[in-house]
Amino acid sequence: MLDVREVGKRFGDVVALDGVSLTVGDGQIVGFLGPNGAGKSTTMRAVMGLIAIDSGHITWQGEPITAAVRRRFGYMPAERGMYPKMTVRDQLVYFARLAGLSPTDAFHAAVKWMKRVDVIGRADDEVQALSSGNQQRVQLAIALVHEPELLILDEPFSGLDPLAVENMKTILTEQLAAGTSVLFSSHQLDLVSDVSRDVVIVEAGRVVMQGDVRDLRERADFRYASIGFADETSWMPPGDAEVVERLPRGIRLKVGADSDPGALLADAGRAGRVVEFAFTPPDLSEVFLAAIGRSTTGVASSSDVPTEVVS
Amino acid sequence: MVWLVMSREVRQRVRSRGFKVTTAFLCIAVLGGGVLSRAVRGDDEPTRYDVAVIGAAPQGFADTVQAAAKTLDIKVRLTIGTDAATAERGVRDGKLDAAIDPAAGTLIADSAPSDQLAAVLATGWQSSASAAAAREAGLDDDEIAAILSPAGLSTTLIGTDDTDDDNLATAVGFATAVLLFISINAFGGMVLTGVVEEKSSGVVEVLLAHLRAHQLLAGKVFGIGTVAMIQFSATLAAGVVALRISGTSVPGSLWVGLPTTLLWFVVGFVLYSTLFALAGSFVSRQEDAQSAAAPISMVFTVAYLTVFILGANPHSTAARIVSVLPPFAPLLMPLRVSTGAASVVEIVLAAVLLLAATFGMLRLAGAVYGRTLLHRGSRLRWKQALRLKSSS
Repeated sequence: MLDVREVGKRFGDVVALDGVSLTVGDGQIVGFLGPNGAGKSTTMRAVMGLIAIDSGHITWQGEPITAAVRRRFGYMPAERGMYPKMTVRDQLVYFARLAGLSPTDAFHAAVKWMKRVDVIGRADDEVQALSSGNQQRVQLAIALVHEPELLILDEPFSGLDPLAVENMKTILTEQLAAGTSVLFSSHQLDLVSDVSRDVVIVEAGRVVMQGDVRDLRERADFRYASIGFADETSWMPPGDAEVVERLPRGIRLKVGADSDPGALLADAGRAGRVVEFAFTPPDLSEVFLAAIGRSTTGVASSSDVPTEVVS
Repeated sequence: MVWLVMSREVRQRVRSRGFKVTTAFLCIAVLGGGVLSRAVRGDDEPTRYDVAVIGAAPQGFADTVQAAAKTLDIKVRLTIGTDAATAERGVRDGKLDAAIDPAAGTLIADSAPSDQLAAVLATGWQSSASAAAAREAGLDDDEIAAILSPAGLSTTLIGTDDTDDDNLATAVGFATAVLLFISINAFGGMVLTGVVEEKSSGVVEVLLAHLRAHQLLAGKVFGIGTVAMIQFSATLAAGVVALRISGTSVPGSLWVGLPTTLLWFVVGFVLYSTLFALAGSFVSRQEDAQSAAAPISMVFTVAYLTVFILGANPHSTAARIVSVLPPFAPLLMPLRVSTGAASVVEIVLAAVLLLAATFGMLRLAGAVYGRTLLHRGSRLRWKQALRLKSSS
């Protein structure tokens, strides 16, 4: 288990991390969310030993993370990092060797991962000749080539086409099944809830929310109710329900989490024949926006929430 | 770890076209220098002529021809007893330079024979004719020999040949200083851009997950150093071959100076390229690399210019003092060793100081490198960098 406990870090006058705590269990994948500058990359770099922390501590399986322990981690930095003039194959072999694999094992691992991320056709091309999407596949392969126990992936999905996203998701799922722990950051919230059940949301160097995605959504103090009618209707919802969207034959409402869906459905049924009914908690994007204190007004539909959140 | 980093550097660099081209160019240039100097000095190998004698040679002809050839520094190979047809064919085919027909008293040649050959053959002919006449006049062989071969002039040299040696040693000393400067600059520059490349491409973040900064530094400096040494030794070897080709007599101090130059090069390279690596770790963009390295380049260039100021008088007190100082020693000392101007005490002192300075530099760089390497944003200053160490 990765245990990040009360970690603080200042850069001059700027407080980058203000007591960040999070855990990633064995075989668990945790999505790391937060606006730009919230401290995601700093936390990840602290785990990788790339910055010295001012306070708190970070452990892996209960032990402090030494250089030897870190060699069993796989890391994908936000600003990618590869030798531009080295071939894809040489690059993978080199990093596998650095992680302690024998020359033969390193060679086989390189081939395996080039196949796995689908860049085997470019094995002998220099990395700089590859498209950014393909470079990113190679970067992932570098993080995985030594079969690490913990994967730290900073924005692994950014800049990938849908096909590559699917490939990346499949690989992560396989890694989890194999018992690897994963901490990844992302701006693409829909992807986060696709891939991981657990999220940590940071804002201004502090963890503002964490837990199971479903729990977090359930914990929200409002719900969305969508009702579709067979015929046009001018039905008005009872009480303090807020109309989010109104169509000739349908309505979308924002209601309190404690309101009774049965009563709502019965009330609507009196106005006309109901053919569709949904009563759902807000999705992750809205939970996220609410958690970091951004206004959700003006967001017409939860499904329209922009997936890229920029501060 | 260091070994892995080193071998990556060596593989990547040696495989590059730039390395192959520059190495080939340097070797060819140095060898070309040797060939050129030989061409200018003229060929030392005596020219050889093939001459056939039709029928029997006159008595004493062969001996006189050989003696005359020797004084003119040419070689004449006489084939005696050839028949006329074969001799003529040989001359026509160019296999023979000339043929002599003693019976007819003619010299047969395809075109006018060289002055040297003509003179040698004429001397032989005349002297054997004179001997025959003298014999007919009743003189015995001893008397004939006394008449025909008076004692020649012998030469006594009263000048010493040392100036030539000195000039050559100085010239080679300067040439190696130029080579040292070029190599340390080129490969030090490679270390500089290599470090900046790792930083600007972000690969350093992934690397440091696997190894320590000082391992990365050592691997880079020693790896590129190995490549530099391959090129430098190849060029030196070409230099030795060039000296042999040129046919010049080589003073003994050079045979000590040239191989030990390699040692000065290795330590000098490590000293300067560690500084270059450190400077490279201060910046994040390739455009800033040169300005970060400017102070080092300046010191190095001053050291280089000093070679030309003090190298002409390698025995002077100034040369003695300056060549012992670590920043200057790698460039100036090889020249003073090659010219035989450096005493053993000076050499040992310079070596000890240089090694100590290099070791200290490696220690310092190892302590700071990890932090400067991960520093992001604007260029670090030397003062800031050194402070990073104390704040660790």
